[in-house]
Amino acid sequence: MAIDVEDLSVRVGRRLILRNVTLSVKPGTVTAIVGPNGSGKTTFLKAVSGDLPYDGDVRINGEALRHMQPWQAAAHRAVLPQASSLSFPYTVREVVKLGLLGGRSGAGPAEQTRLPEKALERVDLAGFAGRFYQELSGGEQQRVQLARVLCQVWKPVLDGRPRYLLLDEPVSSLDIKHQLIIMDIAAGFASAGGGVLAVLHDLNLTARFADQVAMMHRGTLVAAGTPADVFNDRLVSDVFECRIQVGVPPGGDLPYVLPQSAQL
Amino acid sequence: MALRDNAAPAPRWRWHVDTSGDRSARARLVILALILLYAFLFLFSLGSGASDTSFWAVLSGWLGGGADALSLRDRVVIGDIRLPRVVLGSLIGASLAVSGAVMQGLFRNPLADPGIVGVGSGAGLGAITVIVLGNTMLAPVIGMFGIYALPLAAFCGGLVSTLLLYRVATRRGQTSIATMLLAGIALGALAGALSGMLVYVADDQELRDLTFWGLGSLAGATWAKIWAAGPIILAALAAAPFLARGLDAMVLGETTANHLGVRVQRVKNSAILAVAAATGASVAVAGGIGFVGIVVPHLLRLTIGPEHRYLLPASALLGASLLLVADAISRVVVAPAELPIGIVTATLGAPFFLWILLRQRGILDL
Repeated sequence: MAIDVEDLSVRVGRRLILRNVTLSVKPGTVTAIVGPNGSGKTTFLKAVSGDLPYDGDVRINGEALRHMQPWQAAAHRAVLPQASSLSFPYTVREVVKLGLLGGRSGAGPAEQTRLPEKALERVDLAGFAGRFYQELSGGEQQRVQLARVLCQVWKPVLDGRPRYLLLDEPVSSLDIKHQLIIMDIAAGFASAGGGVLAVLHDLNLTARFADQVAMMHRGTLVAAGTPADVFNDRLVSDVFECRIQVGVPPGGDLPYVLPQSAQL
Repeated sequence: MALRDNAAPAPRWRWHVDTSGDRSARARLVILALILLYAFLFLFSLGSGASDTSFWAVLSGWLGGGADALSLRDRVVIGDIRLPRVVLGSLIGASLAVSGAVMQGLFRNPLADPGIVGVGSGAGLGAITVIVLGNTMLAPVIGMFGIYALPLAAFCGGLVSTLLLYRVATRRGQTSIATMLLAGIALGALAGALSGMLVYVADDQELRDLTFWGLGSLAGATWAKIWAAGPIILAALAAAPFLARGLDAMVLGETTANHLGVRVQRVKNSAILAVAAATGASVAVAGGIGFVGIVVPHLLRLTIGPEHRYLLPASALLGASLLLVADAISRVVVAPAELPIGIVTATLGAPFFLWILLRQRGILDL
């Protein structure tokens, strides 16, 4: 049981933008994909979500993604896109409720009706249910979408099978507190038996929360392993094409600020 | 910015929503009220007209002892003149409003309407082709379809234009509003030009038929017309509830709908078919009746929210009611003559459309 990606290649037009990536996302872990812009992180996540045609193999809990119907895949995984806009005046609750559309949240019928509120509480948006989605800030909208995604796979394990969260830059427009809250949710989902695959930009956040780091560079996977293994001066500097020193403050007396946890 | 196109600001005027954000109870209440409104308008329309057969006569006839209580003349007036007119008006109003709502859901934007984006013109071209060439060039083909030839041709015209529009305006699951409106103008102009050519070659009898058809009137409502267009419209209306779930999922884009477990391609195909069928059939029997498809869903979204499982039935009811009101107005303003109903809906609807644009300024900023 896992998401197994084998020899994955993606072509857009005649350009090969993802080359022979092999990676396994195990339940119970958070896997972070890092890499510079245009390295193929989002393409990788999209291929695993089933949005793009690909060569190679993607198997979710042993089943080939290629042969899955949308509703079957929807029971196994939920996907958080980078940004979502709406052209109709939906309330926050109505947006979150869309996650329940497939009916495989795993919550009982009584719990199901309360699920949107519960999910909103989890993303620190309690009391936002009656607001209009279009009137929220970008960061709030992103958290509403995460609440919707959480509703879809509310129980990280359903019928003995682990489920997965695929998150594309889940914290990109959030303040520090909410970055930590969202990463806590991801870690909690994993420790409850689900699997998380997230595209992340912040290397410190990655080091803090990821069990496995997959580093991409120009469409290939250059390293995969624990943050301690992957994050070394040489590799990170080479991949991001700038001087980076792991664990050394830049400059002499400049303060250096690292968030620790969502709790005070 | 790529997302700007779809990021419409929320309208400033709308009903208050409580903190739960749950509008389903209100939606059910509004639908109930609309059923009552429609029932009243149905009876009212049966009871009003040039003849003095009154609403009360209809009502008492119905309540006390059925049709026997009515005079023979009243029965003819009601059964053969008013009833077909009311039924046809209801069918057309419902189909215009529902196809507007479905199309707006499909294109993910509140300005899509079959009449505005050229689907109506496409359907019109189909209808004109049958009227002008039906007795000459296309006679053998048309003969095969009998009374269904006109609605079917209009349906095909509507289908082709919807498909074209979708291909042009939608890229990777995102529809560009500007492209859609501009493509709609081009399609409308093309269909208009081809229609013009057909009118140019039409003979006197065909021109007479064309004129009567093009007025957009319910005056010629007969049971025969209802039998021709009704089944197509009813089929499209019956399909709409099955689209609701898919259209709801598609508000976040086709990719997200797929992630939520919806077979997007199937929803899109059914929605396009339903829109083309409903628009084609109503254009075939009543000509172009504009703005019902944009005004009705918009008003309803402001009151009950945009969830399609409530929006679609409510649109059908309000669309049917609105058309009965417009029909009543069209018979009164220049009595004893009648105004084509298309003129009434355009007079009421076009300023409303401008008001929507004013409220949502910024949508079209390129």
